[in-house]
Amino acid sequence: MGAHRNLTRSYADELRLFGTPAAKVGLGLLVAVFLLLPTVVHDDFWLSVLIYVGITAVGAIGLNLLTGYCGQISLGHAFFIGSGAYVAAQVGGALELPLPVWLLGAALAGAVLGGLVGPFTLRLRGHYLAIVTLGLVFIGEHLWRNLTPITGGNSGTAVQASPAIGPVDFDGLTLLGESYSRNQGWFWLVWGLVAIVALLAKNLVRTRPGRALQAVRDRDQAAEVIGVRAGRYKIGAFMLSSAIASAAGALFGSYQQFVSPDEWNLLLSIQYIAIVIVGGLGTIFGSVLGAVFVGALPALIDRYSDAIPGVRTSVGGDGFISVFALNQALFGVLIVLFLVLEPRGLAGIWLRVKTYFKTWPFSY
Amino acid sequence: MRTNRRQRHGVLAVLATTALLVAACGGAGDEGGSQGGQAGQPGNTAGFDGTTIKLGVLSPLSGPTAVIGQPLTNGNKVWFDHINSQGGIAGKYKVELVQEDTQYKPDITVQRYNKIKNDVVAFTQVLGTAPTLAVKPLLESDKMIAAPASLDAFWVREPNLLPVGAPYQIQAINAMDHYLSEGGGSTDSKICTMVQDDVYGEAGQQGIDFAAKEQGFTVANTQKFKVNTENYAGQIGALAGAGCEMVFLTATPSDAGKIWGTAAQAKFMPQWYAQSPSWVGALAKSAVAPYMKQYVKIVAEGTEWGDESVPGMKDMIDRVKQYAPQQEPDYYFAFGYNQGRAMTALLEKAVERGDLSREGLLAASEELGVVSFDGLTDDYTYGPADKRNPPRSSTVFTVAPDKPFGLVVSKYNFTSDAAKKFEFTKADG
Repeated sequence: MGAHRNLTRSYADELRLFGTPAAKVGLGLLVAVFLLLPTVVHDDFWLSVLIYVGITAVGAIGLNLLTGYCGQISLGHAFFIGSGAYVAAQVGGALELPLPVWLLGAALAGAVLGGLVGPFTLRLRGHYLAIVTLGLVFIGEHLWRNLTPITGGNSGTAVQASPAIGPVDFDGLTLLGESYSRNQGWFWLVWGLVAIVALLAKNLVRTRPGRALQAVRDRDQAAEVIGVRAGRYKIGAFMLSSAIASAAGALFGSYQQFVSPDEWNLLLSIQYIAIVIVGGLGTIFGSVLGAVFVGALPALIDRYSDAIPGVRTSVGGDGFISVFALNQALFGVLIVLFLVLEPRGLAGIWLRVKTYFKTWPFSY
Repeated sequence: MRTNRRQRHGVLAVLATTALLVAACGGAGDEGGSQGGQAGQPGNTAGFDGTTIKLGVLSPLSGPTAVIGQPLTNGNKVWFDHINSQGGIAGKYKVELVQEDTQYKPDITVQRYNKIKNDVVAFTQVLGTAPTLAVKPLLESDKMIAAPASLDAFWVREPNLLPVGAPYQIQAINAMDHYLSEGGGSTDSKICTMVQDDVYGEAGQQGIDFAAKEQGFTVANTQKFKVNTENYAGQIGALAGAGCEMVFLTATPSDAGKIWGTAAQAKFMPQWYAQSPSWVGALAKSAVAPYMKQYVKIVAEGTEWGDESVPGMKDMIDRVKQYAPQQEPDYYFAFGYNQGRAMTALLEKAVERGDLSREGLLAASEELGVVSFDGLTDDYTYGPADKRNPPRSSTVFTVAPDKPFGLVVSKYNFTSDAAKKFEFTKADG
């Protein structure tokens, strides 16, 4: 029983990752873009924008598992991202251990921290939980400023975690006699990890635990009645989401080579929430789309702002709105528009486009 | 099913190999170095096309810190407008600024740095401590020079940085000296500090602690506060309760205004000394001005805006009239203007050596001697990073609402013995 283009004939077909021929072609194209893009785009600026976007996408997948799939609102994401960066600084920098160790170490530390916070979710939900996790950001800020041996206090700390797996050093790749720049290597590393994390998350949500998470999200008491251990899944979702966030934080720290406590603030948490909303709650693909959108749009506007009439690009230049103000305004407008017109986010738009072509010529 | 899967894997493998083969031709080669130049006639290099030298500016041109970034960048611009009107660097190479908005965020700063690093010979401004620390590893690996717009002490020993001005610690030490010798204080006075909870606050506190050791007083009470707090009643209450007769404040303008407002309402009237970034001209027009006029002194550098007796100031005012008539009197403007002067000295030296490449600029900075700022800030002895000697002098100002920028000189350009003894070390990491 193979999959059919537009007829689902078994439950197994429903769950296939790349069931249709079109999906396979799409996957091939994605792999090709992933491999070729850094060799075509040499520009450090665009590569570094895309690297930050990829790191954000990893973090957003973590938040989407928690908020989109399990319905637990968290404003504390920035706390876990920050803790991951400091684990990378200690394990990768001070102890000079290789990439797999500091990346998994950060994920483990995140899981432990998430496990400590998790039990709160058993008694609280909705707004109450949002406020409790909001507290995390402020507790975190106090910790980062005062745990000087680990975080360097207010001055921040250098992160010298080397992105090397054995002989393969992503800071300066040499393949087949061709040498690649730091940003090219990092692009492959980060987007490779995005693919791995996305695949893990996707496999989780299309199996039994994933269905349990969604049952808890939709009606946790009903889920308890039919035998889902809601408490266990809530804590588990929190641990998993924090682990992924910490891994993203570790990557962020290692790429930027320096982090300071000013970066893990409430604004970062809110930005992540915006990303999963704009991308699409309860979709893995949406987390990546949202990160691309929120991360790359400001850079695009910034790059081509001199072509937009009325935008001021330099001090003493003319124009009535600065690039930054334009970016902020657009960002706000987009969030409003998405919530009002497209609650399922970018992923929803994508689904509708797909359905249109699938059901053509009987599209509606 | 089984065969299907195997076929699919085969297709993927073929795809991947082709991609890798194509990718193998796409490595990023090294950025070209400078093509042979000679003394006085440097060859073309990244950011220099034989006629125009491009310099980068990484500054918060938007957001809350733009009140500092905008005038500071304008100061860079006015200085180079003046240089260009003289024909340019060495009389023949015009300077062009490439401005990028960092929003005062380290990650955005890194992106912007990457965006323009191959189009400029150096960065004439990177504003803020955290953004500077974020690009520092990149500066080191790219062999690039940048001038930080922040008075932190650990820039002094960094070969890739070109700081100007007397660091915050020096301001604090000189302020204490002024209080003990002329401000009516003695070593038995109740001396306290109020600092914001970040790197900048730590720098001020470090200066006071050093002065305490050197001059033999003790700090009776220290209050920390978070940037942009709404309510300072707790800290002010604690300082008043400790009976502080003098408080040294390390803050930024919006907090400083609220702090003095709270103190005035609480009838808490010590002698305040505040670090230069605590002040902004608008404070002189606020309702707290009478209180500040009586109890607040600002410790900074140079002289008041429009003081004709200092030659550097007279020139600067003339150039502002000519190139930026809209510019309000502003302390940060003068800082940016001074940065331009230091960068010009470096570029002149590099042109003289005939090499404007990154390595050439680093070598030129090793050979750079004393640079004078015409009284806007004291002379800076550049050269190898471990031998540099920044200015150790400060100027104490009192608040005077009728003056431009709201400050009048109380004691011009003095150096305390303790400030001469202060040792500068590198940033960690």
